[in-house]
Amino acid sequence: MGATQLALLEGGGRSAPVPVPVPVAGVGARADRTPQRVRIVDAALRCVASQGTSRPTVDDVARTAGCSRATVYRVFPGGKEAILAAVVETETARLFSSLGVSMGEATSLEDVLVSGIVDAAGTIAAHEALSYVLANEPEVLLPHLAFDHMDGLLETASAFAAPFLRRWLAGEDAERVAQWTVRIVISYLSCPSEHFDLADRVAVRRLVRTFVMPGIEALRVDSADALSNVPLAAEFFERSTLSNEGRIS
Amino acid sequence: MDIATRQRIVEATYTCVARWGLAKTTVEDAAREAGLSRATVYRYFPGGREELINAVVSWQYQAFFIRLYEEVSGATSIEEVLERGLPFARRSLVEHEVLQMVLRTEPDVLLPKLTVESNRTFGMISSFLEPYLREHGLAQGVDVHEAADFLARMILSHIATPGRWDFDDPAQVSQLVRAEMLAGATGIPGPDRPGVR
Repeated sequence: MGATQLALLEGGGRSAPVPVPVPVAGVGARADRTPQRVRIVDAALRCVASQGTSRPTVDDVARTAGCSRATVYRVFPGGKEAILAAVVETETARLFSSLGVSMGEATSLEDVLVSGIVDAAGTIAAHEALSYVLANEPEVLLPHLAFDHMDGLLETASAFAAPFLRRWLAGEDAERVAQWTVRIVISYLSCPSEHFDLADRVAVRRLVRTFVMPGIEALRVDSADALSNVPLAAEFFERSTLSNEGRIS
Repeated sequence: MDIATRQRIVEATYTCVARWGLAKTTVEDAAREAGLSRATVYRYFPGGREELINAVVSWQYQAFFIRLYEEVSGATSIEEVLERGLPFARRSLVEHEVLQMVLRTEPDVLLPKLTVESNRTFGMISSFLEPYLREHGLAQGVDVHEAADFLARMILSHIATPGRWDFDDPAQVSQLVRAEMLAGATGIPGPDRPGVR
């Protein structure tokens, strides 16, 4: 990704080219992504998918990877903890990467949100290792869904999503909306609702249109009031339920 | 079987939890604290320890909603209900010593109730809000139960994890309530714009 494209994104230019996925800190092409390391992380993922996080040992991972215990420790001196951290990192990167494709292709703010939510929900729900942990070792995951630990999740996920929103939203609004959207996904995913099935694109579009788009408009109005007299994009009035007459004073 | 005795058992259980934590509190402890026999406690709570713990949680929820109702009484709009209620709820959560202690030391029992098993909590918050929502009126085509459920989810999410929102700042609370909670449900407009019902 070129510095120019980044600069355009950062400037919030609405004429920016298709946004490219912003690498999350610590993730991305690295010199130490050896095939050996990849094999070990893949093996660990498979172990977790069938046995969770507490039962598999380094030996199990080594056996599954088809290498020696010594090799595993050479690649991951931190042992099991380091391996699990690498699994989380890799799977997060994988999720963001696939989301980046569908969100990058979207041509409206509504579509970015709908695609992001549907794809995230679908990928997460289908994730074997995550499903195993949630079903059998929820105490591993739950701290990340509420209170202090959720802060980290909110920040990471919205850091990823915000750039995709900057095509339509200025600076801080993009961050706010990204955080809010992540909250919505976490809530409806962790505790499914009879009202909105996040795997159903039609339902998600209704959720976004009914609750999210008006909220974005309200946030932008506040930003506009703060800056005063900043004209809002015509696109926002397409389905506006609010009166169009006169200027916002 | 009378209500006063049942309540005595619930409060005794709570006292034990406050003293020793959730995991170490047994039916026997509760009975002793309440000055009753184990048999009596089991008569009121045949489900044993689990039913006792659930009763304690229910009691605390109820007590909270009563205080919340007092806090927001006199509010003349749903925005005001939320603007007053949110900081109050957040403070109640943060300042609830026993809750915080249990969350810190034994998260596996309570944390599910606040995350993956939140339906009951959403239900309680929804029930509390629906009358205010109905009175205010909903945006066109919005179902009251759907809206109340969305509101409940956003409320629980924010009071558990405020993120970047500062609940001590009334302007921020107002913006949060309008944008992330009410905008879609009621069509609450921005500060100086005409609204639509």
